[in-house]
Amino acid sequence: MGLLVGVQAAVALAIWWASPLRLLPRPDEVARAFRTLWMQEGLGRELWASLATNLQALGIAMVISLGLSYLTVLPFFRPLAAAVSKGRFLAFIGFPLLFTLVFANPHWIKVALLVLAMTVFFVTSMASVILEIPRERLEHARTLRMGEWRVVGEVIVLGTADKALEVTRQNAAIGWMMLTMVEGFYRGEGGVGALLLNQNKHFLLAGVFAIQLTILTVGLLQDYGIGVLGRALFPWAGLTVERR
Amino acid sequence: MSVADERRGPAAYELHSPVLQARGIDLSLGGAPILRGVDLEVRDVVRPGTCTGQVVALLGPSGVGKTTLFRVLAGLQQPDAGSVLIGTPGVPVERGMVGVVAQNYPLFAHRSVLGNLVVAGRRAGQSRQQARARATDMLHRFDLLDRASLYPSQLSGGQRQRVAIAQQFMCSEHFLLLDEPFSGLDPIAVEKVAEMLVEVANLDELNTVIVVTHDINAALEVADVVWLLGRDRDPAGAPVPGARIQETYDLMECGLAWHKGIGSSPRLLEMAAKIRSRFNLL
Repeated sequence: MGLLVGVQAAVALAIWWASPLRLLPRPDEVARAFRTLWMQEGLGRELWASLATNLQALGIAMVISLGLSYLTVLPFFRPLAAAVSKGRFLAFIGFPLLFTLVFANPHWIKVALLVLAMTVFFVTSMASVILEIPRERLEHARTLRMGEWRVVGEVIVLGTADKALEVTRQNAAIGWMMLTMVEGFYRGEGGVGALLLNQNKHFLLAGVFAIQLTILTVGLLQDYGIGVLGRALFPWAGLTVERR
Repeated sequence: MSVADERRGPAAYELHSPVLQARGIDLSLGGAPILRGVDLEVRDVVRPGTCTGQVVALLGPSGVGKTTLFRVLAGLQQPDAGSVLIGTPGVPVERGMVGVVAQNYPLFAHRSVLGNLVVAGRRAGQSRQQARARATDMLHRFDLLDRASLYPSQLSGGQRQRVAIAQQFMCSEHFLLLDEPFSGLDPIAVEKVAEMLVEVANLDELNTVIVVTHDINAALEVADVVWLLGRDRDPAGAPVPGARIQETYDLMECGLAWHKGIGSSPRLLEMAAKIRSRFNLL
């Protein structure tokens, strides 16, 4: 599999390098732009700031979303979860102003916007995982003298912990996608998104590509890391899956 | 010598106090009567010189209400009327008092085989050490000790069934309800499951195994008593909604219980044919 990916990546790079289309910057131009951004414009520092913001938002979104999703076992909370889930059709317009009125600190406004963006997708995925738990699994726990909260703990929290991490993994990717936009709203706070928008504003396409590839690499590493964590924490989860 | 072999010999037995009783069970779902006046009783069977548990089969055609009655007996569903009592004097059944093994042998996928048993023991009030010791003993009895660290998805169907049974015995001790344990099995596998159920029943004098099935031959092979669940017919021959126990076949009284390989006996085949003909009218 690794060989297959390596060969495909090499072919893609070769096509990019040899492409006569001059709209795209060449790999060597992107590499030079990356060096300049890293050495002179603090790409590493901005990347770290963005990573920290993203992880902070992810942690808060996880707590809110998992809490709300687990509460859907009580009929009272289902309309609330459904309403939050519908929020994924909303545009961001208006929310920055709203959050500016609530939070004075621009950092927390960015975090709040990211939490909002992640939560609506997180709750949708996680509530669906929980609602699809068959009745027989809950009844099995009840036959073992488990009370209702213990059933929630055993079947819903522990029993879907692997899926919760998988949903987290997907939402971490959504976080990176939204981050550049959110950081664009508050450029004074810095971050890789602000840097990207500055490069784009000045038509520095090689710089834009360099930052995009950096974000992609960090995102993929984060994705891989969460995958490794999942396999270590939940070894049973992959036993029935045929990996290809 | 297996427990099934021990069942050979004179069928001298006594019926002692009731271990499970259901009286006047009525239940409707969505306005449709499913069960109507279900009465049944299991008594402790005592055979001198042997440890004999009770094996009862609940037979009935598909869709007649067997699984609903199964849920009521397990305390998972409250009937509209009537009661299910456990032991003597009768204690109203609550979930957890009766072990339940559903058709696809549910287990906690996120726990190892040993973990599945320990968590059941803990719910039954055992300390961690007690639960672990009892779970290890149970795995030994069910020939699963070498599977202790595996996860349920790493087990074969038969192993999974045995773990599910062992898990329920960690918690409920003497009662076990099994929903369609012979479903989808080939004849050899049916024989093995039947043997295992008899062995499980005979682990303790008070053990009572109730098998819900539509497999007449397997039920007759494994059970001491067979209940036939079905609907009455009105004078025009149409089924009356709501099932009840139509017939109780006492295989002990007929001398057809506790004989290994009884399945090929002409008398048992005759009884199977008789039950099969009644199926069409239920």
